[in-house]
Amino acid sequence: MTASTSSGEADVPGSGLLYRGAEADIVRGEWQGLDAVYKVRKPLAYRLPVLDDAIRRQRTVREAEMLHLAKKAGVPAPFLYDVDVRSSTLVMEYIEGTRLRDLTGAMGEDEAAQAFQEFGEATARLHRAGIVHGDLTTANVVVRDRGLVFIDFGLAFRTTRLEDQAVDLRLIKETLVGAHPEVSRLALEELFRGYSKASGAVKLRAVQRQLRSIERRGRYARVT
Amino acid sequence: MKKHILGVESTAHTFSVSVVSSDGEILSNTKSIYKPPEGSGIHPFEASQSHIASAPSVLSQALTLSGLQLKDVSAVAFAKGPGLGPCLRVGAVVARTLASSLGIPLVPVNHAVGHIELGCLLTGSKDPVVLLVSGGHTMIIAYAGKRWRILGESLDLTLGQLLDQFGRHHGLSSPCGRAIEEAAAGSNSYLRLPYVVKGNDVSFSGLLTASKQMLDSGKPFTDVSYSIQETAFAMVTEVTERALAFTGKSEVMIVGGVAANRRLSSMMSTMAERHSAKLTASPLEYSGDCGAQIAWTGWLAYNSGITVPVADSEVTQSWRLDGVDILWRS
Repeated sequence: MTASTSSGEADVPGSGLLYRGAEADIVRGEWQGLDAVYKVRKPLAYRLPVLDDAIRRQRTVREAEMLHLAKKAGVPAPFLYDVDVRSSTLVMEYIEGTRLRDLTGAMGEDEAAQAFQEFGEATARLHRAGIVHGDLTTANVVVRDRGLVFIDFGLAFRTTRLEDQAVDLRLIKETLVGAHPEVSRLALEELFRGYSKASGAVKLRAVQRQLRSIERRGRYARVT
Repeated sequence: MKKHILGVESTAHTFSVSVVSSDGEILSNTKSIYKPPEGSGIHPFEASQSHIASAPSVLSQALTLSGLQLKDVSAVAFAKGPGLGPCLRVGAVVARTLASSLGIPLVPVNHAVGHIELGCLLTGSKDPVVLLVSGGHTMIIAYAGKRWRILGESLDLTLGQLLDQFGRHHGLSSPCGRAIEEAAAGSNSYLRLPYVVKGNDVSFSGLLTASKQMLDSGKPFTDVSYSIQETAFAMVTEVTERALAFTGKSEVMIVGGVAANRRLSSMMSTMAERHSAKLTASPLEYSGDCGAQIAWTGWLAYNSGITVPVADSEVTQSWRLDGVDILWRS
């Protein structure tokens, strides 16, 4: 177990805050001599403690399980070193690389095409293994020399429903159109190509049909 | 020289006319709000009849308060959408009539863009992550590449609809937000309700059903009001936080009718603080639907060369804000 203080706060050896995300602090530290990141879901003061505790605990435990399932499905994800439920902390392998979000604007067309095709393939593999990522944005994929690594499985869950899989794709589409409008067309095309490569054209068509149905439910949406 | 724009809002329950000047001064902002009978929601036709009845007096009062005459107006802006067809058409008819009889340009405005641009004018926000929460919208928005982009939204009901439908189930009349806020203030007993965040999106339909069932099973209105607020507001605050962390922006702005809720703004302010971001909110008078959002955005559009011939000025009930080219921002 990771050492935690009496207040339930994780004790991170040699710590340095890498990133303050929406729901967790990502702190770089050391674990048993290994280069590690501590993902600490700190209490969120805006949320009622009873609600907040339950959400943080549930997401921490689920994320640990999902990291394992993702690897089993052949999707690169960080190694999990340790879990401390009391302080809602996961200790994971440190991934050397850059978030896809920060590279997308600077990539050449070929490079972007390759990255997003790989993105699509990995997503399809997750879906085939019966899980959805739940937070598929370009901030949650790290690019390193050997390819993409998927991080942040905090909203992932087990499901084989087409609806859930389409919601997964809807978020990455929303992110591409919303945050990377200049490459969104190409990126989406490649993403779907990759998805089809891993899961087949029939499956891709089904999930795309469901995606359109979800988009039509959006307020004031006109989907063609 | 300073110009003056008259704006007409009539997308839903509010009929409002405002006159603003090109330097951002709001000279008048007169409203008439249709109130449906207790326990029921807005009836589009009834609302449009109410708008027709109040249009002449709202228009003349807006002019009187502005201290101007019709001949001083350079252009007329109207809410072209999104909204309820019968209501939109009333505002459009008023605006077209003014534009053609005065021989001045007609400017189409997207109502949601209006909320955001007026919010920026009044709060001084330059490049915020926007939480737009009202009866018609629940969206997290940020500017990128010539458009306001939707980073997250509700997959089903809007926050306003959630509160209204819950309130009406208890016998209140829309809008119910304030009554629910007051009831919630009298409780601190949290009942567990579904908390549904999917990536950057939220879903309220399960929360509504569960809340209604709790009322039906005899739980006090105060406790369920408290619990629905705590749950729903935490959900939208969480997705706004995600957008803030993702974009790395340093301002957060709340606009729309639900921005008036103090519990929501207190949660949002706690969240913004954690990211050293500045939280702003539209002042109460301008957070809900009003003519000023149309008049001010109408000026920005007109100044960028956007006008529409009367013959092509039909209203658009479904018009998402990310389909609007924003020519006035760099």
